[in-house]
Formats: sequence, structure tokens, C-alpha cells
Amino acid sequence: MSSGRAATLSWAASARAAIARSSRQATRGYGRAAFRPGSVLVTGSSGKGTTCHLVAQVLRAAGLHPVVAATGASPWSGVADALLTRKRTGRRRNDPRAIGLVEVDAAALPGLVRRVRHPAALVCTNILGGQPDDNPADTALPALLERAMRSLPATTTLILNADDPRVAELAPDLPNPRLYFGMSDPVHGRVRPDPTAEVARCPRCGSQLSYARAYYAHLGHWACGRCCLSRPEPDVTVTKIGLVGSSSSRLQVKTTSAKAVLEVPLPGMYNAYNALAAVAVAKHLGMPAWSLRAIDNASGGPMRMERTHAAGHEVLLAVATNATGYSEVLRAILGDGEPRRMLLGLSTRRRQPDVSWIWDVDFEALAGLVPAPIVCGNRAADLGVRLKYAGWLGDGRHQGQSAGATIEPDPIRAVRAAIADTPPGQPLWIVSTATALAEIRRWLLQLDDVPDQAAGLAGQNRDSGRAGGRVATRLTRPRFAGPRIAASRPTRPRLAGAGLGGAQPSGPQPSAPPRSAALSPALPPSRARPDRGDRPGRSARPGQAGAAR
Amino acid sequence: MTTRQITVAHLYPDVMSSYGDRGNVAAIVRRCRWRDVGVTVTELRPGDKVVPADLDLIVIGGGGEPQQRQIAADLYKVKGGAIRDAVAAGTAALAVGEGYELFGRFCQPDKGAELRGIELFDSWTIRGRVADVGAAHQDRATARPRTDPAVRDLVVRWDGGLLVGFENSSGRTYLGPDAVPLGRVISGRGNNGDGSEGVCLGGAIGTNMRGPCLPANPALADFLISVALCRRYGTADLSPLADDLELAARATAMQRTVLTARRRALTWPLRKQASPPASGAGAVPPRLGNHARAGMHR
Repeated sequence: MSSGRAATLSWAASARAAIARSSRQATRGYGRAAFRPGSVLVTGSSGKGTTCHLVAQVLRAAGLHPVVAATGASPWSGVADALLTRKRTGRRRNDPRAIGLVEVDAAALPGLVRRVRHPAALVCTNILGGQPDDNPADTALPALLERAMRSLPATTTLILNADDPRVAELAPDLPNPRLYFGMSDPVHGRVRPDPTAEVARCPRCGSQLSYARAYYAHLGHWACGRCCLSRPEPDVTVTKIGLVGSSSSRLQVKTTSAKAVLEVPLPGMYNAYNALAAVAVAKHLGMPAWSLRAIDNASGGPMRMERTHAAGHEVLLAVATNATGYSEVLRAILGDGEPRRMLLGLSTRRRQPDVSWIWDVDFEALAGLVPAPIVCGNRAADLGVRLKYAGWLGDGRHQGQSAGATIEPDPIRAVRAAIADTPPGQPLWIVSTATALAEIRRWLLQLDDVPDQAAGLAGQNRDSGRAGGRVATRLTRPRFAGPRIAASRPTRPRLAGAGLGGAQPSGPQPSAPPRSAALSPALPPSRARPDRGDRPGRSARPGQAGAAR
Repeated sequence: MTTRQITVAHLYPDVMSSYGDRGNVAAIVRRCRWRDVGVTVTELRPGDKVVPADLDLIVIGGGGEPQQRQIAADLYKVKGGAIRDAVAAGTAALAVGEGYELFGRFCQPDKGAELRGIELFDSWTIRGRVADVGAAHQDRATARPRTDPAVRDLVVRWDGGLLVGFENSSGRTYLGPDAVPLGRVISGRGNNGDGSEGVCLGGAIGTNMRGPCLPANPALADFLISVALCRRYGTADLSPLADDLELAARATAMQRTVLTARRRALTWPLRKQASPPASGAGAVPPRLGNHARAGMHR
């Protein structure tokens, strides 16, 4: 009896090992080819996925072929996935326009850096506080990133968030060129950092930092009173932010050489930072200014303020995995003070019993804006207690009774109940941690009344042709359309003078990366992205077609 | 009914708050307000003095090791004596995690000099590799040996009821002969694996239960509130509250504990093969909570 169970378990373990081995092998076979010199690594605590997604759309609009690899804590699964996808799309292995975009967890970065030769840039979005056990924000995470940075070649540009003191001062002695991005909006931002954000300390001398302006968490215009270290002047900056309700924001972006106004269809300050990071990457890669228009029609990626429809309601999904993320997502949704229907989720995997970070989420400031919230996930009860003590469930005249909240651990049942409860015509917001939200999203996408959404998502999702029914076209050899330049490769795709690529960051120029020869100043943008029969999802999107002209 | 009023001191709210420890203060404030008891919260930062006569309840949370090092000197020099006096005069206190360690005699960190505690509790803590030789395993992120912190749910029998929390401690706390443990461990590690958890000294409580323990354990919160009220008014009559959500959260935590215990019992032979003890001590360190597992299957 017990031996049978042991056999089952060991079979499962060996199957897991086999999968891991095969994904490693896939990586070994293709890894060098996929992440040729010139790829971009995006890391940080939060916002790396959205940043990658936005950069990918800009690159696609400019005619490149980004290969996006979303790697979580274990890098190889995501890389292998991206490579298989790329194989399916039928591109040549030495596609001259391919560019790797790797979203990588900070913990996995040191391992990945060794496998990616000569990356063009390493982007670090932010380092947010976490629990001391899994990512000690003050010591281990910056130390990990520094270690990874030191193993990079000296030509790789570091694209860093100037507003995050922990990020801006990473490895200050490295000779690598640095490109800083940051907010300069004089109107938005608070005078003090969040009361719930942990106190930021000077990365050099350890004393408490003072802030002239704080945008979110500990990001802002910081300075150290003791050693006079202060925020570096950003090369790419936002001079004015207009946060348009819970749907979008308008950014006036300024680089050293150009200005642009972006309509980012994602709400919240943290998404403004993501868009800014994407602009910084585009500037570094020398993308033309018009390709930034792709951000206007971008989506944040799956589960990042993603819109779907269910039973006649608009349903918006937002993932939030840590205290700052949860606070900022809620602030972005409820910032205008309008009450909204909301389903909140909290789930953990079984190895992580800790959900104490929910007590660092600033629920108190938003009390009363969500009438009768529905709470789901395997830790729904803990979240319910949190909401109760934050005053979301009515005040205590009822002697602490939980008036109005529905606790339903099963996400699917909870979302059914939430949809049934939502008055017709009103949108339903779902904010949750990843596990429960992924389950909800899968269920929503299976519903019959969202075929357009599903297709649209699959088209935008990664660099893929995952929407079904195109097996035949996948199997055909790719027709190579576009200039074939093999012998002489310019150093970088650059439209001289036409866009943001005019000014490069200070420091030595990244000499090597001969990645893509496809873009040249002479090439008109409309030809840069020829319509190809095997990519129906792409050409059907109005946004990029419009942006490319 | 006259309005009652208590004063709560929150020590180092910016530094010692890594596990949502402001939740403990929020629980006290809300539960008092629901009963028409006014609460004043004074936040005491480095340099601020403790005035024993004013305080009814002292709360200190947990932090990381750097945070603990940061405040240890200030706690010992500026506040220590006053806190001892206050507790002797009947003030309630709650010390969690690293704060609990500093309320003892001393704390020996993994590296560096030992930190002096304020000697309120007769306890001491030894942390890191010194504490559990042989329990070191490879940290995947940093590829360095790392001691095994006990990250799991902690269930403790206390005062006829149960307390449920979450523990994450790489230290082991030992109690001296004068110290009375807060409760007996049912599942988890507790102080050092010997079955005791926390310490209790009059109205002062030290515990390893993080991830704020008071919202999850309304009985413990009410105990602290009634001690604080007794100190000020000589009597405490607390009206009962509807704790349905809290009890639901506790129930899921218990369920999780039972499931974990079952799974661990089932996979015990496999894990024993999979992870041989590191070289050194030779003997397998007592896997924590074995007795609890055995009890569950009896």
C-alpha cells in the first residue's frame, strides 16, 4: 500500500526531472542562437513583465522581431517556451531582425547572464521591499543584481530607474554605460513616501533618505542628508503625467534629443514607470520616435489590467503579487473616489504560508469604495480579516460583524457570484495574486462569448501564433521577405536623426552587438514590417498598422 | 458608561515591521474601538524615551537581522529599563520575532557580535549555523549554504484554546529556569523544537508567531487589552465580539496544518532518502514537529 504510493510519487518526481531535463536541453540547443548578442534583459521586483510587453510592441512596430521570454524563478522553462514558440512561428534561426527580450527574476539573473552573450542592455525597474525570508530587500536582492551586473561585459548598457535609490546606485564603480529614467512631474507625487512603504536607506552610508517628492512606495526624488548622495539626473524622463481615471494615463516623455506625448492605455503610476522604462529601452536601441506610438495601443500583457467580457459585463483583471503592487493597483482603480464592484483574491502555494504582506497594503485609505467585496483564493479568510480590520466591511458599531463581505475560497465560484451580483452595465474589477487570477482568467477565456478577446490576446501574447487553426501555415517554410543582408552588419538598428537614437548615453559605446541589419535609414517604415501570410493575428490589429505609417 | 482610554506604544514602527506587524496594532485599535474604548497610539522611534507611567501596552514587531542590529543598542540603552519597570507595574507587552529575541537576555546572530537584550524575559537566542549544524541546505538563489529557517504554520495550545500563527525564524530561543512558556506547540517549531513556544511574564508576551498574530487570534488580543484596561482601571469587562471571519481564517490555517502534517508523514521515507544530512554533526537534527505528527496519526 505504502510502497505503491511511494512508487507513484517517485514516478511523478522522475517525470518532473525529465521535463526539466528536456527543457534544459531545448535551451542548450537553441539558447545560443536565440539570445544572440544584442538581447535585452529586464529585471526588477515588479513591472518587468509589462515593460517587456511594451518594449516588444515598440520593436514590432519598428519592424523587428522580438522573441519574448518570460522567465519566472526558474529561467529555463520560460526560455524554452519562447524558443518553441519561435520555432512554431517558422522564423529562421538566424533571422537578422530577431531580438531577444528576456524577463527575468532577480534571483535567476546571475544564472541567466552567463548564458546570454553580450546583451545590449540590462533594465532594472525597481527593488521593492519584501519579506526578509524570500527576498531581503535591503541586502540580498541588490547584492544579487550587483553580482549579475559584474559578470556582464562592459559594453552592456545598464538602464536603471533613477527614482529608486536601491536601483540607481547599483554597482556604481562599473564602467558600463548607464541610462537613467525617472519621473520629473512637478504636480503628482506626495511629499512623503508611503506610510506603509519601508523606510528607504541611503545605499552608500545607510542613513535615512529624505524625499522632495515620492511617486509611489519609495520611488521619488531622493537625497541623503549625510553623504549628499542624491538621485541621478535621468536621461529619459516624464515631464507631465495626466492620470486619466482608472483606464489610462497621458505622459509627456522627454529624452535628451526628443519629446513625445504618449497615451498609455494602462492606469496608475506604476504603469507610467513601466512605459517610461519601455521608452528608455527604445531610445537605447535607437528606435524611431514614431515606433513609440505603438504604446498607445498596447496592452499590458495578460492579467495586467486586461479587459475581457463575461455575461455582458466588462471584466478587468489585474494581478498584484506583493504589498506595493496591491496598493498601487487598488489606488489606480479606486483613485478617482468612485465606488466599484470588486473581487479580491489572495492565494499562496503551499510552500509559502506567509501572507503577512497584506497588512502592508494600504487598504485603510480606500475604505468604503468597494461595497460588498467578494474575496477568493485559498487565503481568502486572511484577506477577509484584513479588510475587516481596515474598515472595509462597515464600521464597528455592529461589534465587528463582517457585514457585506462574501468569502468564497474557490475562485471560479467567486467570480460566478461576482458576475451575478454586478448590476448590468457596470464593470467588474478582479484584483488578485497570480495563482487565483490565472485560474479565473482561464475560465473566463473558455466562456463562449469572448472569442474576439481570446483571439486578440493570443495574437498579442508573446511572439506567438498560438491561436489555433493555423497548423498548415505553421508547417510551411517561412517565405523570407525583406532585405537579406549577411555580409556587412551595422552595429545597431538606428534611424539617424529621425528619432530617439540620436543621443546615446554617456560612457563607452557598446561596440559589438551586430544583431539586426534589417533596419536602415533608407528603409521606409511601411516596408520594415511586411505583411506575411502566416501572421494573421498581427496584421489584423489596427494599432500597429496605424503606427507604422 | 464612561469612556475608557488606553495608550499603546508601538516601538520602531518603521524598522521592526517586516511581517505586517502594524496589523497587531491595528487589531488592538479596532477591537478597542468596537467596544468604545479609546486608544492612543504613540510611535516610539530611536531616541524616544519610554515613560512607564503613561503606557498600558507596548508592542514591538519583528524585522530582519539588519533591522534588529540597527535598533538593538537604542532599545537596550534608551528604553530597556523603562520597559522593565512598566511591565513590573502591570503594563501589557507583546514582542514578536526579533523583538521577542531582544526582550530576552541576549541574541547571538549568525555573524558578528552578540546583541544585548533588555532582560525582560529570562531567555536567549542563538541564530544561524551555530544553532542548527547539519540543517544547512543549498540556497538556490545564492548557491551558498543557508540554514533552514522554520517557515511554516505554528499552532500552539494556550490557555485552554489554540493560537495559530506563522513562524519564520532561523534562530532558536531557549528559556531560562524562571521563564514560563506561553504555550505548548502542537505543530511547528516554536522556541527551539522542544515543544515550548514563546514566553509569558505577567501581562507581557513574547512569541514567534508572526504575520500579525493578534488579528488571527482574537483571544490573545483581548487578553492584552484586558491587561491594559486592568492596569488603568483595575477592572476589565470586555463585551464579546463577533469573530466569525477570524475564526474562519484560523480554521483554514488548522486545516492547512493537518494537510501538511499528513503529507509530510506520507512522504517521510522519500524525503529521508532525498536529503541526507549534511556532514558534520552526524546525527539528523530533530525534524521539527515530529512529535506532533506522531500524535496526529495515533
